[in-house]
Amino acid sequence: MLRNRHFWFGFIGTLLLVGLGWWAWDRFRPYAFHGTVLQSNEPAPDFTLMSANGPVSLSDFRGKIVLLYFGYTFCPDVCPTTLTELKRAMEVLGDDADQVQVIMVSVDPERDTPEKVQEYVEYFWPTFLGVTGTPDQIAEVATQYGIYYEKREVPGATGYLMDHTATVTVVDKDGYIKLIFPFGTPGEDIAADLKYLIDH
Amino acid sequence: MKRFVGLFVGMLALVALAACGSKPQGPKIVIENAWGRPSPKVATAGAFYMTIRNEGTEDDALIGADSDACGTIELHESYMKEGGAMGMRPVPGGKIVIPAGETVELKMGGLHIMCIDKQVDFQPGTKVKLILHFEKSGDIPIEVEIRNPMN
Repeated sequence: MLRNRHFWFGFIGTLLLVGLGWWAWDRFRPYAFHGTVLQSNEPAPDFTLMSANGPVSLSDFRGKIVLLYFGYTFCPDVCPTTLTELKRAMEVLGDDADQVQVIMVSVDPERDTPEKVQEYVEYFWPTFLGVTGTPDQIAEVATQYGIYYEKREVPGATGYLMDHTATVTVVDKDGYIKLIFPFGTPGEDIAADLKYLIDH
Repeated sequence: MKRFVGLFVGMLALVALAACGSKPQGPKIVIENAWGRPSPKVATAGAFYMTIRNEGTEDDALIGADSDACGTIELHESYMKEGGAMGMRPVPGGKIVIPAGETVELKMGGLHIMCIDKQVDFQPGTKVKLILHFEKSGDIPIEVEIRNPMN
């Protein structure tokens, strides 16, 4: 009988310990981001480009999380795929979505006017912002953010297409580059990372 | 009379046998799940995606398409370049080969039918009539559903 009681104390004690350990690990383990984490000491380079409602600077959005995407409106496959995932992320974020600003920078200033980029991105989500600039301005911003793009003439009706880095750059509330999402990151994963950044 | 009936039945059996014995030769193209993403009017180009299955015994190839909804149609593919940048190009050789017994997926971030100079609004629910041109199977008319991508 006494032996039996010892057995049950040990048994329940072990269970409690394991449970506590699991809880603590789950509670205190570092969050694992889906995107690639960047630790930079320098704030994200500021820029001013033209939107449909006048000039817009990155620094205008300090206090919000900014998602930068470089694309172009003639792009029928890659850009809408990414913008659809960003739209999905906004849906998942719900009320927190107003703490996130998506900005698409056109890498095709020849064809994309500020109005055209704006109409394009708004189709995906009403608060998305589209900006463009002179070819020199675009080149400068793209270089600062490590974005490659290249105009390539192709045979056929398209005239030319743009090859471009299709990643999404996340600038945190304090204006530092925090994350990079590769092409094809699901909207749910993007939302989870942004939710963590909003809450911490 | 009975003899005639017997003869008739025998002939029917022969025809049936012949039909069974000779396997259908050539390609047999089946198109499934043709869809396109909704896009704003300012987006001059759109993309169509679908599954193309060749249930036949011979390779075939998609060589082009036509639609009143598009000014021009080209076969394109998105691909990842060195360093992770995405590029888009007309498919090599101007055609998408559908090998016998295989399935080829036209999907987001890969092969797609590019609709240049959209003539209509690509709103969800719109049905776009499209005629696919195959090297051997000839023209196959299909309907493309404009809808949001499913996850």
